Amino acid sequence: MKVIESLNIKEKAYIEKLENGLTVIIIPKQNSNKKYVIWGTHFGSIDNRFIMPQTGEEVFIPDGVAHFLEHKMFEQENGTNSLDTLMALGIDANAYTTNDHTAYLFECTNNFYEGLDELMDYVQHPYFTDENVEKEKGIIGQEIGMYDDDPGWQLYMNAMDCMYKQNPIKIDIAGTVESISKITPDVLYKCYNTFYNPSNMVMVLCGNFEPEQILQEIKKRIVPKELQGEIKRIYPEKENTINKPYKEVAMEVSSPMFAIGYKDCEDFEQEKEHIVAKHIAIEILLNMIIGKSSKLYKELYESGEILSEPDLSYEFSSQYAHILISGQSKNPEKIQNEIKKIVEEYKQNGLDKEHFERIKKKIYGDYVVEYNSVGDIARMFLSDKMKQINSFDYIEEYSSVTKEYTEEILKNVFKEENMIMSVVKCK
Amino acid sequence: MEYNTQEIKNGVKLHTIKTNNFKTNLYAAFIATPLKRENVTLDALLTAVLRRGTNNMQSQDIISKKLEEMYGASFDCGIEKSGDNHIIKFYLEAINEEFLPQKENLTQKCIDILLDIILNPLVEKNGFKEEYVQGEKENLKQIIESKIDNKTNYSIDRCIEEMFKDKAYGLYKYGYVEDLNNITSQSLYEHYKQLINTCKIDIYCSGIIEEKDIKQIVEENENIKKIEPRQARYVINNEKTEEIEIQETKMVEDQMQVSQGKLVLGLSINTNKENSRFTASVYSAILGGGANSKLFQNVREKESLAYSAGSRYIRQKNTIIIACGIEIENYEKALNTIKEQLEDMKKGNFDEKDIENAKNLIIESVKSIKEEQDTQITYYYGQELSDTFMTIEEYEEKIKEQSKEQIVDLANKVEIDTIYFLRDKRGEQN
Repeated sequence: MKVIESLNIKEKAYIEKLENGLTVIIIPKQNSNKKYVIWGTHFGSIDNRFIMPQTGEEVFIPDGVAHFLEHKMFEQENGTNSLDTLMALGIDANAYTTNDHTAYLFECTNNFYEGLDELMDYVQHPYFTDENVEKEKGIIGQEIGMYDDDPGWQLYMNAMDCMYKQNPIKIDIAGTVESISKITPDVLYKCYNTFYNPSNMVMVLCGNFEPEQILQEIKKRIVPKELQGEIKRIYPEKENTINKPYKEVAMEVSSPMFAIGYKDCEDFEQEKEHIVAKHIAIEILLNMIIGKSSKLYKELYESGEILSEPDLSYEFSSQYAHILISGQSKNPEKIQNEIKKIVEEYKQNGLDKEHFERIKKKIYGDYVVEYNSVGDIARMFLSDKMKQINSFDYIEEYSSVTKEYTEEILKNVFKEENMIMSVVKCK
Repeated sequence: MEYNTQEIKNGVKLHTIKTNNFKTNLYAAFIATPLKRENVTLDALLTAVLRRGTNNMQSQDIISKKLEEMYGASFDCGIEKSGDNHIIKFYLEAINEEFLPQKENLTQKCIDILLDIILNPLVEKNGFKEEYVQGEKENLKQIIESKIDNKTNYSIDRCIEEMFKDKAYGLYKYGYVEDLNNITSQSLYEHYKQLINTCKIDIYCSGIIEEKDIKQIVEENENIKKIEPRQARYVINNEKTEEIEIQETKMVEDQMQVSQGKLVLGLSINTNKENSRFTASVYSAILGGGANSKLFQNVREKESLAYSAGSRYIRQKNTIIIACGIEIENYEKALNTIKEQLEDMKKGNFDEKDIENAKNLIIESVKSIKEEQDTQITYYYGQELSDTFMTIEEYEEKIKEQSKEQIVDLANKVEIDTIYFLRDKRGEQN
C-alpha cells in the first residue's frame, strides 16, 4: 500500500488500487471509538450524457438520475431496505448526491463488520422494478417540493443560471417532477452498469483500523466484475463568458439574500497541477476582501448592511469553476459595488503583507480543524479524490502560497466582466 | 478521557475534559439564568453586544485580528433554552500547539480572551457603547424576524410556543421585537450587572490540556478575581416546574406562501416517575427515531405521504415533538396515520425487535458523544444543570434496562396537546 503522510498534523493515509480498479483509502485514527466508511462513485448530476464502455452506446439521461439511483440502491430484492437494516444495527447510515459524485456511507461504534457486509452487499446489488421505481417518484417529488420552498437553494440555482448558459451544473441535483417521470428501470441499470464499476469508485475509511487487515476484509466482500475501460463523458463546450449578470426572484424571506459570484474562466487543464495552491490563494483573497477582520466587513456590519459573515466558497471541477460570496443584506447592490471597489484597490495597490500573512495563518487553522472528526476526514478525502487531489496537500502546500502568486490569481480570476449576482428579494 | 470539575468560587465552576481525540482545544463558558418574559430579549441582546468589544479589545475587528493571528482560533456565541433556563454560550476553539507549524502556547491567550469578552465589556457613561447597542438592536430585530425563513424550525417553534403558552418554555429564545424599543445602553448594562452577579457560570476546557495549568490560568485571571461568589439563580432541570393539565387538544393553523405543508404535533407525557426519561427516549425512538421507526415506515414509506417524518424527545420538558413535511392536501390522511401510530404504541403493537432497534439507535448516539468536543461539553453541562451525574456508560445501561411493559405504560400516559399545521394561503394561486 502507498502511504502518504502529513507531518504537521501527524496523520497518515494508506492508498491501494485493487485489481478490479477500486481505489481504497484508509486513514487510521487509533483514538477514535467511531468507524466511518464512505463509498463513492464518480457519477453526479452533471453526468447526463456519456458513452457506455461495454457497448459503445451513447446515452442521454433525464435530469436527476444520479440522485434517483442513490435513493433506489437501498431497496433489496428480498423486500428489505438496507437503510433500515443498518439502522436496526444501531448504525447511522446515509447517502448523498452532488454535482460530481454519489456516496454511500455509515458510521458506528459497534457492529462495524455487519455494517460493512450490508453496505458492500447493497451497493453491489441493484434491484429496480417498474413498481419500485414508480413509488419512488412520489417520495422524490416531495423532496423536490422541499427544495422549491428553500430560498437558499433557489439563490444558488439562480447564481448558476447567471454564470452558465449550458453547463449541466445548472441542473437541479434532484431533477424536476417532470424529468424524473421519465426514469425507468432500464435507465437506472444502464447508469448503474456504467458508473458503479469498481474502476469508477473510491472507498474511504477513517477510524480505528489496521490498514492491511481492513483491506483484506474489503477484498473478501468484493463481487467480481469485469474491468471496464474509460467512461467517455460528453459535456457541452466550455463557455468563456457569463450567461447574465443578474437574476432575482421574490420569496417569503425576512431580508434579501444575495449570492455574488465570479466565474473562473481560466483553463482547468492548464491549472490542474496548481489547483490546490490556487484554491488556497482564492480562500485567502476572499477572507481579505470580506472576511471577519476585513475593512469592508467592518463597514458593512457597523452600518447594518450585513448581519453576519457571508459564506465564502470556491467550487470547481474540470467542467466548472466559480467563486461564491453569499449572505443576507438589505442592500445587495451596495455589497456588490463595495466588493468591486476593494478588488480594484487590491489589484492597484497590491495586498498588504501583514494582512496577507495573518489570513494565511487563519486558513491553516481552518484546514487543521477539518481533521477533528472521522466523518469530515473521510468525506474530504473522497470529494478531493474525485478531483484527483490528495487532501494533505492543503496542509503541506499552504506555506508555498506567496503574496505575489495570490496577487496574480486576483488579477486572473476576480474579473469584473465575470461577476454575477443572484438575489432572493422579500415578497 | 478524564473529566474533572471544581468550584472556583461559589456559583462558578471549572470543568476540564482531557482528551487527545482532537486537533483542537475547545474552551467554553456558559451562563445560566431563569427564562423570563421580561428578560429574554435583554439576554439575547446582551449576548450580541458583549462580542462587539471589551475594555482591552475595543472592537470586533481587533478581536478578529487577534484570533486570526492565533491560527484562526474561532470565537462563537449563542443563546439556547434548556428547560426553563436561558443559557448564554460562549466558545473559543483553537488548534492545539502540537499541530502548529511553529510551537506557540495558545491556551492562556484563549482563556483570557474568552473571559475578557464575558466579564470585561466596553462600558461608557454607565452603559454599553451606544453604537454597539443600537447596531445590535437592529440586528436582533432582523434575527427575530428571520425565524420564518426556515419553515421546518419555524413550525416546531410555533408548536412549542402554543403548547407552552404563557409559560417559560414557550418563550422564543431571541426574544420579541416589541421589547427591543425600550432597551437603552444603560438599562442593558443594568441588566448585565444584575445577571453577571447572580447567574450560574460554568467554564469548560477540552483537549490536550493539563488540569492544573488550566486551573491556575483561570484562578489567576483578573476578570475571574473580580467577580463575587454567588448563590446562583437557575432552574434545576429535573424538577417539575408546572402541572400539565390535559385538556382538549389545541388545533393551530398558520398560513404562508409554501408549497409543502408542515405538520407538527406536541405530545405531553403525564408522568414524572424517576427514570421515565429513559423510557420516554426509547418510546420516542420506536415512534419516530429513525428509518425503522413507525412514523418513518408508515407515514413516509408505506403511504408516501411525507418526505420527512420523525419525532424528538425534549427531556427537560418531558415532551415529544412529531414533525412531518407533507403535501398540503394529505393533511387528514397524514394526521390519521400519525394517530394510528400513537394508538399502536398504547396497545403495545411493536415487538422486541423494534425495542432493540430503538435502543441501538440511542446507544449509538450516546457512544458518539465522545467523538465531538462540543457534544461532549454539552453532555456534561446537561448533567450539571440537572444536578446529577451519570457517566456515559451508566446512561447506556439505563437505556438497556427499559422493558416493553414500561414503554407501553408510558405510551398510555402520552396525550396530544397541540396539533400545529403550516399550510399555503387558501384561495391564492402560487
